[in-house]
Amino acid sequence: MVNIKINGKELKVEAGKLILDAARDEGHDIPTFCYQADLMGIGSCRMCLIEIEGQKKLQPSCITPVMDGMSILTDSPTVVSARSSMLEFLLTDHALDCPVCDKGGECELQDMVYKHGPHTGRHAEPKHRHHGKDYVLSPVIIKNSNRCVQCTKCVRVCSEIVGVGVLGSIGRGIHQEETSFFKTYLDCDHCGNCIEVCPVGCFMRLPYRYTSRSWDLKSADSICTYCATGCRVVIEERDGLLVRSRAQLGVGLNSETLCARGRFGYDIVNSDDRLTTPMVKKYGKLEPATWEEAFGAIRKGFRSSSPARTGGLISPRMTNEEIYLFSKLFKGPLQSNNVDSSMRWSPEAVEGFAAATSMTAGGVSIFDCMDSQSVFVVGTQLSDENPVVDYIVRRISNANGVQVAIASSRGMKLDSCASQTLRHAPATEGDLLGAAALLLADKDAVRFAGNADFNSIKATGIDTLAARSGVSRSEIEALVSSFGSSETVGIIAGTEFLRFPEGSASLALVVEALRGAGKKVTVIPVLDRCNQRGAWEMGAHPGLGTAYSREGVKGLGFAGMMNTASEGKLDSIYIVGENPVVEYGDGNFARDAIGKVGFVVVQDTFMTETAALADVILPGVTFAEKDGTYTNQEGRVQSINRLLPPPGDAKRDLEIISTIYNIFSGTDDVPVKKSAGIFAEIREKVSTYAKVDLSFNNEKNTFNDLDNKESLVGGSSASLSMPQVTGSAASSLASDGHAGFTLVTGNHLYHSGRLSLRSEILGGFIKGAIVEISEEDADRLGITSGEKVTVAGSRYKAELVLKTRKGSASGVAFIAENYNDVPVHKFFRRGESVASVKIARS
Amino acid sequence: MSEKCKAKLINFVKKSVFADFIRGLYITFSYNFEGAMTLKYPDSEKWIPYRRFRGLHTLNKNSEGKELCVACELCSRACPTDCITVIPEENDAGRGIADRVAKVWEVDLTRCMFCGYCEDACPTTAVRLGREYELACTTLERGTRSRDELLLPQPVPEALTGGVVAKARFIRSADGIKVVAELGKVRQRKL
Amino acid sequence: MLTEKTLEKIKQIQKNYHSKKSAVMGALMAVQRDSGNNLTREDMDAVAKILDVNPVEIHAVAGFYTMYNWKKPVGRHHIQVCWNLSCSLLGAEHLISHMEKTLGITLGETTPDSMFTLTTAECLGSCGTAPMMQIGDDYYEDLTVEKVDKILADLRARS
Repeated sequence: MVNIKINGKELKVEAGKLILDAARDEGHDIPTFCYQADLMGIGSCRMCLIEIEGQKKLQPSCITPVMDGMSILTDSPTVVSARSSMLEFLLTDHALDCPVCDKGGECELQDMVYKHGPHTGRHAEPKHRHHGKDYVLSPVIIKNSNRCVQCTKCVRVCSEIVGVGVLGSIGRGIHQEETSFFKTYLDCDHCGNCIEVCPVGCFMRLPYRYTSRSWDLKSADSICTYCATGCRVVIEERDGLLVRSRAQLGVGLNSETLCARGRFGYDIVNSDDRLTTPMVKKYGKLEPATWEEAFGAIRKGFRSSSPARTGGLISPRMTNEEIYLFSKLFKGPLQSNNVDSSMRWSPEAVEGFAAATSMTAGGVSIFDCMDSQSVFVVGTQLSDENPVVDYIVRRISNANGVQVAIASSRGMKLDSCASQTLRHAPATEGDLLGAAALLLADKDAVRFAGNADFNSIKATGIDTLAARSGVSRSEIEALVSSFGSSETVGIIAGTEFLRFPEGSASLALVVEALRGAGKKVTVIPVLDRCNQRGAWEMGAHPGLGTAYSREGVKGLGFAGMMNTASEGKLDSIYIVGENPVVEYGDGNFARDAIGKVGFVVVQDTFMTETAALADVILPGVTFAEKDGTYTNQEGRVQSINRLLPPPGDAKRDLEIISTIYNIFSGTDDVPVKKSAGIFAEIREKVSTYAKVDLSFNNEKNTFNDLDNKESLVGGSSASLSMPQVTGSAASSLASDGHAGFTLVTGNHLYHSGRLSLRSEILGGFIKGAIVEISEEDADRLGITSGEKVTVAGSRYKAELVLKTRKGSASGVAFIAENYNDVPVHKFFRRGESVASVKIARS
Repeated sequence: MSEKCKAKLINFVKKSVFADFIRGLYITFSYNFEGAMTLKYPDSEKWIPYRRFRGLHTLNKNSEGKELCVACELCSRACPTDCITVIPEENDAGRGIADRVAKVWEVDLTRCMFCGYCEDACPTTAVRLGREYELACTTLERGTRSRDELLLPQPVPEALTGGVVAKARFIRSADGIKVVAELGKVRQRKL
Repeated sequence: MLTEKTLEKIKQIQKNYHSKKSAVMGALMAVQRDSGNNLTREDMDAVAKILDVNPVEIHAVAGFYTMYNWKKPVGRHHIQVCWNLSCSLLGAEHLISHMEKTLGITLGETTPDSMFTLTTAECLGSCGTAPMMQIGDDYYEDLTVEKVDKILADLRARS
């Protein structure tokens, strides 16, 4: 602590704190352009100059730390005139085309000049112009360098936070321009963070270009509904069209950053293909109907089916309230436990994953996880599936020197800031972690003596496990020793454990062994659907009730329902927001099975392949049209707010589900229109949500704390069991016969499931399906990136474009699960996510 | 004769020849020989107002024929009655002075109170209140004027100072009635 | 494309540094020297591959320093006349206009035989011997019109 004086007031502040932060904490307004807390300080814009008594020259407060005895003046006449002069200088070469500029009205330069600046300029010289017309840098970025104030925030955010580094400051002085290599079209993540940090209208959104002015927009606080990171966004509409989705500095765990999906995937809401009217099958044909007819058909359809032969599937993109009411509808009035929310994964895998990642113990903040001395990322393609978590890991690990170890079969962007990367064979997370657990538990063997999972891996032996995973024993030892040298360990575990459930037991063993060694372990599960965790906690699981409590009879998971249906033993099914015909492991099987179900109700926003098979279609709404809460992967409960009315005759999903609930319960117990009432019920009935506080959602100031721990779900006393895995991925690969490459799947960086394919902007980023292999493999095959190849498995064959990926393990091929033209699941056996394929130039 | 007597005599003579009466009637009769104060509007004459008049909005072009409007929407922001709608679009073909032009520029005359704030707000002097004042219409749709119509050259050219009366023709059309001025034949209005 | 010779030079330069990309300035200079006093976009791309950095970083370095010629191709002899205060007071502008006349080009241009390119530079740190200019790597100081003529004639004769 040091003693300083700010504007005459004596203060005690932490040593090493920046003057700017100290002054701002005291409520003094110091304007800045180039300063952003997350980014490297460069002190280039000179807006934050302050006077230190005894020093002749003004000092930039954003890079000057406090020193004992300093007396700082933030508003002295010299400082005020210096600010004004700096702005006058910035304006000498600023284009001043505010009426045309998309930033006009929300521009930091405008605000600053209005507040601090000279209102007349003295420079009559012609302005320097970098270029004439605005130029397009990427499908989403349009650039006008004439407006640049050279704060280089775009360059820094691109390299320091996003980790792509495709922007640079070219030239010097007045000629300095922040742009790409020779102004070429960018091949980057298209995340648009450069647009967000730009204080002026230099980087602009191309899709938003000239659609509106900032004051025309109506906005609502919302959450990005693609992956489960839970980024806070503000969605904005004009004349009933959603035109922008943006993040705010200092609000939400993402602060100002978003990925391409979050920033540009909003336009699904505006799609012309939205369902706007209920449809009922009449004489074998779906025809528009009234809501009364639709509800009448549902009443009849479900009444005639027996409870055990009724099933429900709800999308993990629905809100907590909707999912809660949906499971309550099934487990209550419909008396069926056949409810599922994760059709891609088996209920057992979900249970194992929830147990291994300690989800029962309550929410864990990602920032607490990153406070650890070493962080281990495993079973997830973090940079592609949860880009904002990737940003957070990169930012904090670079700033605090956290040791990051990454285990994955494919290369990823985050590798560049990892101290150790382990490239294992696909689907062998379990083997890798098993070997690590054995090494860790070496000294603590007594503790695990009775553990069946431990005994089975012990019987296999470290060397066999290491050999199976394709990682050398010494690498695993290095990983274990990096854990050994840190007091606190963070583990970020992802969806591979759900695809290959055999890994969960090993993960649990590793966590337990580390805890046994007295280390503080924080585990963050990372998921790829925005409310997947919420869905499980709301009891949309055949074996578990709310907050992972065990319930009486175990119902059927989605796979079970499909098996029953294919035998003609399922009378009715209610599918909300999911499209199993294309997204379930075996689409054709699902199509046939759903075809055999007596009565199918589909509630969705689009006319999907599944909806085409329905007897009743109920048009629901997207996130922009409803209220509710989502629980993200950390267990953070955040709310979304409605901005638009439902399109056409569509109704809000909660209204539909509660109307159906009221039909079958025979009461009017459930309020039809308010989500707040349902959330109050959730708080009362679901123990882990009792203390969740949503109030921060309404606060919107610049200094809003990123880490709202009061909104994390609490822990429950439920105990979960590890899945008994029958056939492992390795054995199914072996039965395929090795054909050269092992095909795996996951989400593409620009897509999340099939929903994002409806977005025209996101669709513009990639043309056609892509298969990714490592650079070395491509060289070996003599194929270059961009060529057409044929990928042939024993079940399916497809032609796609080859792309190389730096750092992937040899022999691993990847096709994202998001392409309509190449449904990757056709390569796999039903319920599995790995296959052996051959790749050749076509 | 005293002064008092003289005055009495003159007064008597004035009264006997009705002098005041004639003087009064002189003013009245003199108007018979002057031109009429009233305009024969709408039958054959029309008042051409001064440039400062605030009538129907006009959208202007520069000397090269490019639209001055950059669709900045400041007019619609400044409008106290919220009667102007602007929707911008991008046009690289050189329609306007910038690549941002108005896709829609509409004014709802039934709400407009002709305050001229839009004119003040306009950074490019694209919007001005013109000298067209015959805005009565028979359908509500005609109460809204859009860009294409407002971009047409004004009936009264900018060069004409105004404040004159022009010969005019009275025309009935589907839109309503119109009085078309013949700007060649103008006269100063007597005051 | 970079020649074997250049690649070898870059390898040698890299040996002076702990990290690969620290060699960026030396590498660019080596490439520029070996490819006729000019840097092209392809050169920068190639250097980026060798140093394993994003091409834009190379471009940013090349863009910051005036000694890298990438904006416009320059001739064999790149004449940079200092026109900062001391040199200007002692007649730099006069020298520039003289050279423009004798070379038949204006500032920023290259002679048709690609022998000379005439540009100006800010202070080159040789004010004590003003007016001065830099041609290639060499300083020519205490200049007069006669001296300049002789220097240009010598350069022409040498090549």
